[in-house]
Amino acid sequence: MKKILFITSLIAITFSACEKPTQTDLTINFTQTVDGNRLITGSGCSDGGECFHDHSCCNLGKTLGYTNDAGENYNIQTLKYLISDITLHSDDGNTLLLDEVHFIDISDASTFSFTVKDVPNNNYTSISYTMGLDTIRNINNLYINESYHSAMAWPETNGGGYHYMKLEGAYNNDSTFYNTHTGGTMGGDYSFNNMEDISLTVDDDLGDISVNVNMEINNWYNSPNQIEFSSYGMGIMMNMMMQMNIQMNGITDVFSIDVSK
Amino acid sequence: MKQLICCVLATILLFSCKKEGCIDPIALNYNPDVHINNGSCEYITTTPYDIITPYGFPDMIIPEDNPMTFEGVELGRKLFNDPILSANNTLACINCHMPESSFSDPNQFSTGIDGFLGNRNSSALINLGWSSSFNWDGSVKSLEEQAFEPVTNSLEMHNSWNNVENTLNQDEEYLLLFKQAYNIDYIDSTHVVMAIAQFERTLISNNSKFDKYSRGEEVFTKSELNGFAIFNSERGDCFHCHGTSLFTDNLFHNNGLDVEPFLDLGLGKITENTSDNGKFKTPTLRNIEVSAPYMHDGRFATLEKVIEHYDSGGHFSSTVDPLMKKLGVGLNLTNQEKSDLIAFLKTLTDYDYITAE
Repeated sequence: MKKILFITSLIAITFSACEKPTQTDLTINFTQTVDGNRLITGSGCSDGGECFHDHSCCNLGKTLGYTNDAGENYNIQTLKYLISDITLHSDDGNTLLLDEVHFIDISDASTFSFTVKDVPNNNYTSISYTMGLDTIRNINNLYINESYHSAMAWPETNGGGYHYMKLEGAYNNDSTFYNTHTGGTMGGDYSFNNMEDISLTVDDDLGDISVNVNMEINNWYNSPNQIEFSSYGMGIMMNMMMQMNIQMNGITDVFSIDVSK
Repeated sequence: MKQLICCVLATILLFSCKKEGCIDPIALNYNPDVHINNGSCEYITTTPYDIITPYGFPDMIIPEDNPMTFEGVELGRKLFNDPILSANNTLACINCHMPESSFSDPNQFSTGIDGFLGNRNSSALINLGWSSSFNWDGSVKSLEEQAFEPVTNSLEMHNSWNNVENTLNQDEEYLLLFKQAYNIDYIDSTHVVMAIAQFERTLISNNSKFDKYSRGEEVFTKSELNGFAIFNSERGDCFHCHGTSLFTDNLFHNNGLDVEPFLDLGLGKITENTSDNGKFKTPTLRNIEVSAPYMHDGRFATLEKVIEHYDSGGHFSSTVDPLMKKLGVGLNLTNQEKSDLIAFLKTLTDYDYITAE
């Protein structure tokens, strides 16, 4: 009996040793641009580092350096958003959920990326992700123990759940502010899912990989719906039409993906 | 096999000449003169204190090295109420954090043992176990760390920790209580603040009219409902900073109180980042009715004055929060809307809490 056990375990060990462990780490980076240039805010830059402490680019961020299609000059002081259901799809029909919900806060460099260890070898042909939370996820207190719960909570009296995005700053002059807060106004679903083709072969011999998900901020305001801060800056949380217009702009050309190896 | 038994017997015989007793140094009846453990060791047993997560609250984060026990909480309560922590034995934590004022001070500034006034309004102590930064400027990250400060602050208890330790270690009752709670023979500052922090974590308010309304046990009046709607929409826009069941985002904002230069830099003094100047921690609005005066410097004596501030839109400065989007315009609430808002804020008063010991 002992001999049989010994032989069996020897065989098992031998076989498992032959199977190559997967060792590819995949990092998803969240970047932000305005007209193609990396975002600079009044309190720091989206590439992190020294800009958080009075670096010159922070001062630059306080100027109204950006312009939307409506001709309004503006800056960006707050940007917090949720990206959910970040999923890789492979050519054999399998899906791999990388993260259920990821919170990005432009004032916290630790939120700019996350890494998935030991991604299974495969040919991944597309990536999908949701801007905000769909109706399954956008439920009051569902993420009560997450760091973003209090910063992103959306009042229950207005549909509940969470803000998809808080985008805030000044426009026209330093003391007029806009708040672009998107979420499930009156219980509606204004999240959207993007699926983009990528060519991503995960093979241990090829090394670690990163995928960048970029948000082109100015495009939230431009096309197909031109949005003026002077009309909507005071708040759109109760405005279903505006939630829909911003959702359409978001679907059109706000997000882009690139893969770097 | 026989050899082994012989061997064991021989060993027992060899050691039996020596005294038996408790050989474990952490046991209560540890005897350094004995060498054989006879199973008589007696240990301190603490009773775990379970924090039950209130409806709509996140789980409380409790430091692993300071688990909640009944003994620790009771010791912390005693310390909180005892002027022994102050240099001249006249001032206890509770004197500036009074239960009937939601564990804050109804005076704009509190008076220390030397008769000097502080420069910020005493914070209300409510639901602190759900926060990860303390003081108006967020200068400390844990309750334990926070409790170190008032004891030595020259405007407050003006004591030294050396003196606190000396005093406490001469007190038979405290020696026993610290032994029971933490199994220590010498009382040190670290365990003093640990006990106080344990007590503070039990200061939970979750039984206001708002809570009863949320649990479906009570109904709001028309005025309270209307106030709640103003609070929770961009009409009043209170919820962005005072949202969720905690009624605070636990973050720091400049809410447009002052123009520059700021008299008090707040968070900016701590982070040395000028973009944080003039920012202060959002206080919870629970028990706000009884925790007057308001703001970090207690400048507003009444809730009406607070509402007036937000209704006016506030003052511009380079770090004012973009959430203050009615700056220069004002909310322009009607008198009815203002009184509805105050009616709602008063539903956050927890009478069980402010009458608790």
